[in-house]
Amino acid sequence: MADENIALMAHLLRRSGFGASRDEIEAKAAQGYQQTLDDLLNPESQPIIEEDLVFRYNPSYWQSAAIENNVQAWLYTMINTPRQLQEKMCLFWHMIFCAGHSKIDSGYEMGRMVAMFREHGMGNFRDLIYRLSTSPGMMYYLDNTESHQVAVNENYGRELLELFSLGAGKDEEFNYSEDDVKACARAFTGWNNAPAYPPFPYGRSPWEFRFDPADHDDGEKTFLGETGPWNGDDILDIICKQPATARFLARHLYNYFVADDAQIPAWRLTPPQNLDLIQEMEKAYFDSGYDITEMLRVLFNSDTFKSESVRFAKVKSPAEVVAGTLRLVEEHREIKLGLFQHSQEPKYMGMDLMNPPTVEGWHTGREWIDSGTLVERINYASDLLGNTELPGVKGLINRLMSRGDSLSPETFVDGCLDLIGPITVDDGTRSELVAHAQKAGDLRHGSSSEQSDFTRRTGEMFQMIASTAEFQFE
Amino acid sequence: MSTHFFGLNDRSFAYSHSVGRNEFSGTGFRNPVDMAVGDNDVMYVVNRGYEYRTDGVHISVVTLSEEYITEFGSYGAGPGQFVWPTSIALDAQGNVYLADEWLNRISVFNGEGEFLRSWPDGFDGGASDDASGRMIAYGSGPDIPAGKSGSGDGELDRPAGIVISKDGTMFVTDSRNHRVQKFTLDGKFLGKFGTFGSGPGQLNMPWGIALGKEGNVFVADWRNDRIQQFTADGKWLASFGQSGDGVGQFNRPNGVCVDDDGDIYVADWLNNRVQVLAPDGRFVTALKGDHVLSQWGKDKLNSNPDMIRQRALAYSHNPGYEKSFNHPCAVKIDGQGRLAVLDHFGGRIQVYTKSKDPVLV
Repeated sequence: MADENIALMAHLLRRSGFGASRDEIEAKAAQGYQQTLDDLLNPESQPIIEEDLVFRYNPSYWQSAAIENNVQAWLYTMINTPRQLQEKMCLFWHMIFCAGHSKIDSGYEMGRMVAMFREHGMGNFRDLIYRLSTSPGMMYYLDNTESHQVAVNENYGRELLELFSLGAGKDEEFNYSEDDVKACARAFTGWNNAPAYPPFPYGRSPWEFRFDPADHDDGEKTFLGETGPWNGDDILDIICKQPATARFLARHLYNYFVADDAQIPAWRLTPPQNLDLIQEMEKAYFDSGYDITEMLRVLFNSDTFKSESVRFAKVKSPAEVVAGTLRLVEEHREIKLGLFQHSQEPKYMGMDLMNPPTVEGWHTGREWIDSGTLVERINYASDLLGNTELPGVKGLINRLMSRGDSLSPETFVDGCLDLIGPITVDDGTRSELVAHAQKAGDLRHGSSSEQSDFTRRTGEMFQMIASTAEFQFE
Repeated sequence: MSTHFFGLNDRSFAYSHSVGRNEFSGTGFRNPVDMAVGDNDVMYVVNRGYEYRTDGVHISVVTLSEEYITEFGSYGAGPGQFVWPTSIALDAQGNVYLADEWLNRISVFNGEGEFLRSWPDGFDGGASDDASGRMIAYGSGPDIPAGKSGSGDGELDRPAGIVISKDGTMFVTDSRNHRVQKFTLDGKFLGKFGTFGSGPGQLNMPWGIALGKEGNVFVADWRNDRIQQFTADGKWLASFGQSGDGVGQFNRPNGVCVDDDGDIYVADWLNNRVQVLAPDGRFVTALKGDHVLSQWGKDKLNSNPDMIRQRALAYSHNPGYEKSFNHPCAVKIDGQGRLAVLDHFGGRIQVYTKSKDPVLV
C-alpha cells in the first residue's frame, strides 16, 4: 500500500502540473500539501525559465514563424518550468480559447497567444478575456478583422458567448439568444488589426491590435437585457457578471483538474457531477471579483479533489502523456538536441498543439483514446520508461534496489507500481504482472550480473505498466 | 587616432546597404549566428537553422556586394558536418574554422569549402540513422549524441566564439568552462585564461571574441553583460559595461569586434542594437538598424507580388520595424573598414561606413 502522503502529493502534482520525478514528489510531500499548493497558486514565488539560455542554444525560437519551433519551446517550458500550475493553466486556456495555426499561419502569433495565457491565465477573468478580445491572432482567427460597421461578421461575437464565456446553456435554460449574438458582434466592430509585414523577405512583424472608431457601430444595442451604445468593453463587463460565466469557468476547471465531465455542448442539459463544488467555485468567482486563482484555491482544497475516488479517474491528454513521461524519466531537463521529435508526439496522439481541430477545441476524457492514439501513447511511454539509461529511470531502479537485497516477484511488482505512480491497477492486471515477474523468480542485485538483470527486468516491468489501461489515466 | 569631444558623439556611421534575406539556402540566410571576413569582399556566414529544418544548417559564401558564391557543409555528425554551429574564423591562408557547440569540436575547411580536418579528437560522429525509424518532416534526422566534452586543458565544453591572430594562434571562448583557450591551428593546446565568476577577468558563459590591432583580446562576457579586454597572454586589462538597456549597458552581448582606430563594436543581442565604444570603453553611439530592401529582398518580393502590397501597408504603418536590428548577433570590420552587422532574425547583413573625420557637434 502506497504512502498516503506520497500518493496525495503525486495526485496534486499530476493534476496541477505535468507530474514530477519521484524525488520531487517526496520533497514536496515533506514540505506538505498546503505549502506546495500555496507555491503553485503563487507562481511568482517560484523561479522562471531562464529565457536567455533558451534563446542562447535555440536562437531560432526568437519570433519564429515556424509553428514547430513554438511547440518545441512550449514543451520545453512544460517540462522545466518550476511554475507548473501556471503552465497547466496556460494549456487550459489554449484548450478553451482556441485559435489555430491552420488559419493564423504564424507560429509566432500562436506562441504569443500562449505566452499571454501564461502571463495572465491565473489572474482576473475580466482582464484575461479583454486580452483575448484584443489579441490580434484571435481577431484574425475568428474573422473579427472582417467585421465592419456596415457588414458585421458574427463569428467572434458568437464564439465569445458560446465557447469562451457563457456557454450555450445551463440548468436546461439557454444562456443567450440570437439577438444577443448580433448585438455582441456589433459591439466588437472596429476591433481590428494593424497591417503587418509579410513573412518574406525578412520575417513577419508582430501583429498589433488596433481599434478603428470609424468602423465601429456605436448605435444602441440590447445585450442580455441591458440596453446602451455598447462597445466591446461594455459587453465584457456584462458577460463577466453573469452566473452563466461563473458556471462555465467552474465546469471547465472541474473537467480539467478533477474528473472527466460531459463536453461543453451537453452542459445545458447535463448537470454538473458535483454541484456543491461547482457552486463553491462560482461563489469564489464573484466574491473575489472574477479571480481565477481563487477558484483554483477552492478546487484544490476541496475534499472532492483530495479523495481517492478521483485519482486515476481522468484520461491524460496527449500533452500530459508526453510532458508527464519526460518529467518522470527526467529527460530534456536541460537544453539539448532532440526535443523536436518529442514535441511532435502529442500530434500523433491526437493533440496538435497550437492547432486545435476547431474553435471548440479538443474533446477530452475517453475521446482522447482510439485504436491509433492508444498505440502511440503506449509506445511513447514504454519507450522512455524502458530506457534504463535515462536519469529518472535509473533513479527509480536505484530506489527499488534499496528496498531489499532480494525482492519477491510480488514485492517487485508492487514496488514498480508505487514508484511510477503510485498507481493502483486492478487485481487481474496485477496478477498478470506478477505472473510475468515470477517467470524469472526473485530479483537480486549483489553481483554485477544480478544488477544488470535487475535493471533489465525493471525496465521491462516499467514498460508493461506503461501498457496497462490504468497508466492512461492520471 | 580617435579624438574625444567631452563625451559627445565624435563618430558618425552612414548606413550603406544590406545583403541577404531570410532563406533556407541560396541567396539568403537562415538564423545566422556569425560571419567571417575573407578577401575581395567575401563573407562566410554561419547559418544555424533549427532542428526542424536542418536543411538551413550550412555556411553561405557571399560578397558584401550581394553576390552569391556558394554554400557548403550540412547538418550531421560526420566529417565536415555540424549540428550547433556558433562561430567562424579564417586563417591567413583563407582556411575556414568552424566551432560546433553540440559536437564540441572545431572543423576546418579550405576556402572552397572542402573539409580538411577537425579537432579535438574523441568524437568522430557516426550517428546517422534515426533509431526510432520514424521519418521526420524535412529530415530532422537522428538524435545525434553530443560530442565529448571536458574541462581539462585543450578540452572543450560548448565552444562559442573563435578568432585567429596574425601569428596563427586560435582563441576559443569555451563557454561552459567559462574560459578562453588558445590553440595552434591544428588543435594543440597553448594556454588558457579566465575562470567562472563576475570579478575582473572572470567570465560567465563567454561568447564572441575579437582581437584588437595590437593583439589584445576582447571577449563578450555574455552572462555578465560586459566586454572584457585581456592581453594575448590573458592578463586582464579592462571591463566595459553592466546589465541593462541604458547607455553603455548590455543585455547578453554576443558579438564583438575592434577597428583599426581601436573603437569597439558590440552586438547588444537582447537590446537589439550595436553599441560603439571608444578604445577606453566610453560609450560613443548606438546603432539601431537602418535597413533598406536588399537586391535579394527585392527579388523575393517581385516573385511574391501578393506580399508587395502587404509589405507596403505595413511599411506605411510602421516603417521603423523593418529597418531595425532584430537580435543582432555578430559584428565585423571588413578590409575596407566597413562595419557589417549580422541580424539573426532578419537573415541579413546591414553594412555601415565610418566617417574618417570626427563629427563636429
